[in-house]
Amino acid sequence: MNKLKLWLEQTMMISFAILVGIILEGLAYCLLGGAPLASFSLTWLQLLSVVLTGALCSIPTLIWLQDKEYTKKQFLVSIILHCLGLYVIVSLFGLVFKWYTQIDGFVMMTIIFFMVYVFVWLVTLWFHKREDNRINEALDEIRDEE
Amino acid sequence: MKVLFEKVDSKEEEQAVIKAVEVTDEISGAIELLEGDAKSFAVSKDGKVYIIKASAVYYIESVDKKTFVYTKAGCYDTKYRLYELEVMLDGYFMRCSKSMIVNLKKVRNVKSQMSGRIDATLLNDETVVISRGYVKEVKRRLGIG
Repeated sequence: MNKLKLWLEQTMMISFAILVGIILEGLAYCLLGGAPLASFSLTWLQLLSVVLTGALCSIPTLIWLQDKEYTKKQFLVSIILHCLGLYVIVSLFGLVFKWYTQIDGFVMMTIIFFMVYVFVWLVTLWFHKREDNRINEALDEIRDEE
Repeated sequence: MKVLFEKVDSKEEEQAVIKAVEVTDEISGAIELLEGDAKSFAVSKDGKVYIIKASAVYYIESVDKKTFVYTKAGCYDTKYRLYELEVMLDGYFMRCSKSMIVNLKKVRNVKSQMSGRIDATLLNDETVVISRGYVKEVKRRLGIG
């Protein structure tokens, strides 16, 4: 049940991150390419492809980022495998669903992928830090004196 | 001392207020009793059996089907299984991983690691791991979840 919940949470988070990436890419094309903003649109197939990609991208998270003790080296290897796994999935889905058709589109998608990947990590760490602070404040209230 | 009793409708409303000039031994005993710290259980070390108060326990660990109890005075073993102690020692004692119960009152601070796990540093400077799956329950026990 926990795995299913984690998979659904990850699917939602990654889908949202990809959607933000696509919107940023669309905005960049409109602003840098001089096209009108109204020309940017998303079809239902593109939205479906985002959700499918999110669902598939959750699998590497379940495989490589388990809640267990890692040495620094193991953790570094897990992160690299995780990042590359996601990159391969996003690239393949991008090709199949025509998020990009030429090399410049692929380069743009690659840049956005790594920006989103780092952004998701930073947000996750910020959430953890905030959670730590809340728990530590609550612990201050009940801690035994020694 | 004058003792007042007022009936309430739910467990959440239950509270005890002690008004006194100073904290005497009797009052400390009453506080321990009310907070559930008066619980004690049998442990053994070097063939001798001891009765220890739950409030002295830092954490309890299960290794190879044996249960070890860690206090400031040292490590003891006990005949109780982890799940039995989990039921006996409610309140701030809680499961933090499959093989460990930690006394939240003995935790100095917690720090999340990149891998997602949480390291809890205890008052004796030992560090135990709180699995991410138990964080929600930690927060619930601390009244912030």
